[in-house]
Amino acid sequence: MNGNRRRTTNSIEVNVLARWLVAVFFVGLAGLFFVYLKNQQHAVGDQARAVEAAIREIEAKNEALKAHITAMTSRGALQRRIEEGYIRLEPIPDTAIARIAPALPSEPDGVLRTASRDPDGRFGVGAPLRAISR
Amino acid sequence: MSSTGTRIGVICALLTMIFTLFAWRLIDLQVAQHDYFSRVAAEKHSIRIVIQAKRGRILDRNGEELAVNIPVRTVTADGTHIRNAAALAALAAPFLEMPVKELTEKLSTQRQYVVIRKEVSEEKAQDLMRAMDKANLHGLYLEEGAIRSYPNSEMLCHVLGFVDYTGHGIEGIEKSYDKELGGQDGYRLIEHDRKGREIVVYRGQEKMPTDGSDIRLTIDMGLQAIVEKEVDDTFKEYHPASASAILADPNTGEILAMACRPNFDPNHYNDAKPEQRRCRLITDMYEPGSTFKIVVTSATYNEKIVNENTRIYCENGHFSYGGKIVKDHHGYGDLSIPEILMKSSNIGAAKLSLRMSDQSFYDYVRAYGFGEKTGIPIQGEISGMVNPPHRWDKLTKTRMAFGQSIAVTPIQMVMATSAIANGGKLMKPRLVLSDGEENAVEKEAPVREVVSKTTANYIAKALEGVVSAQGTAPLAKVDGYTVAGKTGTAQKIGTHGGYLEGRYIVSFSGFMPAETPRLMGLVIVDDARVGSEANYGGLVAAPVFSRIGGKAARYLDLPPESALVMAQSGNALNTSATAKTR
Repeated sequence: MNGNRRRTTNSIEVNVLARWLVAVFFVGLAGLFFVYLKNQQHAVGDQARAVEAAIREIEAKNEALKAHITAMTSRGALQRRIEEGYIRLEPIPDTAIARIAPALPSEPDGVLRTASRDPDGRFGVGAPLRAISR
Repeated sequence: MSSTGTRIGVICALLTMIFTLFAWRLIDLQVAQHDYFSRVAAEKHSIRIVIQAKRGRILDRNGEELAVNIPVRTVTADGTHIRNAAALAALAAPFLEMPVKELTEKLSTQRQYVVIRKEVSEEKAQDLMRAMDKANLHGLYLEEGAIRSYPNSEMLCHVLGFVDYTGHGIEGIEKSYDKELGGQDGYRLIEHDRKGREIVVYRGQEKMPTDGSDIRLTIDMGLQAIVEKEVDDTFKEYHPASASAILADPNTGEILAMACRPNFDPNHYNDAKPEQRRCRLITDMYEPGSTFKIVVTSATYNEKIVNENTRIYCENGHFSYGGKIVKDHHGYGDLSIPEILMKSSNIGAAKLSLRMSDQSFYDYVRAYGFGEKTGIPIQGEISGMVNPPHRWDKLTKTRMAFGQSIAVTPIQMVMATSAIANGGKLMKPRLVLSDGEENAVEKEAPVREVVSKTTANYIAKALEGVVSAQGTAPLAKVDGYTVAGKTGTAQKIGTHGGYLEGRYIVSFSGFMPAETPRLMGLVIVDDARVGSEANYGGLVAAPVFSRIGGKAARYLDLPPESALVMAQSGNALNTSATAKTR
């Protein structure tokens, strides 16, 4: 065997190979990370959709309940119940009313003015304090 | 060697050309035709879903809800997602309250969109979805929607109106303010997977809906309930063709309550007959009768044709003019202007009109708003009928003076009488206070000054006499308050012309407290089933006004007018027995 026919050997350049392997590894890792993020994104999207649906459902239920309460407490409904006898209006005797402001003297019509509507401002700020007597 | 090199060169050139072609095509697809292919892709995968805007509520002036939304779902099916129609139908039928057979037929389809049932309650729809998930069945989907609900049923039905199945207003405020109430739907471009579920990551452009505004009316439901009850009782007691009442604030033109009978339930508007749906207060015209005398009396006084000392000879009840006889209920001699109103003298009113020129009288009639729409925001308002002077015959003016040969709507009458109450200003009726965000929708605006304040006060004072024992409406009295008003009793006109014997439209139009008016009211009873001797505005409509006025004053806690009232109520008490037996 002469030198020319000697089988040539290719040395493995570990450094280069290692560099490539590391590069490929990182590219692969980045790809996997990308896929992971994409999956996460979809999972979060599904969660968001579920939460949105839940919120919508609760809102709708809330609206339905509010409408139900409005219907049950509407003036018409209460009047119907009064007529049917389910509820009744009980007059509150004047002696059972605790007044923060004193009652106005009785007018000729016998109607006592309520303190909540005080057109003349007689019980407003600066009004003289008066003893309550009956 | 050279041939090998050539071959390699050719192959390289070919590969280069091929890859160049690929690269060119890639650039063509990705860059040059990017927009086109994006659109095609979007069309293939994206769906434009509509996000419905919530319709605004209608509230009374105190925020009480008069029209609200109830969320419901529309159940739809995609036939391509259904594997076992029979099983799905058996599962869904109880929730949808449909026969299994009918549902199976509907679900056995390859169509991608089939509406299965509308207006399914939220609760049942969600229960259905949970049951389907549990049984691992697919193919039914829910769409959002809402139905309109009127919690007070018939109350205020003519004002509120109703919406049709598409959610658009058809009558009343629902129609007039459809744009404001309706809002604007939004949309979202989405992509979905093969099961039809949205892929949130690829959610595209979206525009959120603009919900409709709440509309706050001038109506006070406390007063409305009072008016409804009284109108209802009147309707039951007299069995008339119709009964109506309005309460308004004469100073602002705000309508506080209005009710008509017959009425309907807007929740079930399909069951209502056309005559039930008519808001007679704005769509019907009638001869106003003596309530119209305020026009001629105020016009002549305002023009200084008459004054406090003027007395009109009333011919003892029979006045021959133009070949016809004008009659009074009782024979009177000389009457002053207040007495003409108090006694409701037709002859006095007719003679007053003769002191005015035709054009001047006509101008006053028009200035009071008769013959034109008031502009109340409810559909179907008519302008009434006022003929111009060139179409009058010799009798027309004298007839118009006491409310014949003219047709008005109740809302016009309310606004005209309000002008007397508020010092001479004709107000535009106001029904909407704000759009719910405290933005005034309609401005409070006087249309014009019809008569001077002096004239208005003079006529108002005269109208107080109408509610005294000497007047035609002592039964309109409200304890503790002075009431000013005018009765009207007009014979009904037949469908073929001419007056109908014994059939009347009676009314009372008045305001209280007379000195500082807070409430303006009109009560009209059309063709009450009572004898002719009792069918008068003062006997049928005035007591209704009295009851409404009394309850309304109590509700609003109006301070009673002490000293002034004592005198009037003393008089009235002494004579109430006489009045009631009239």
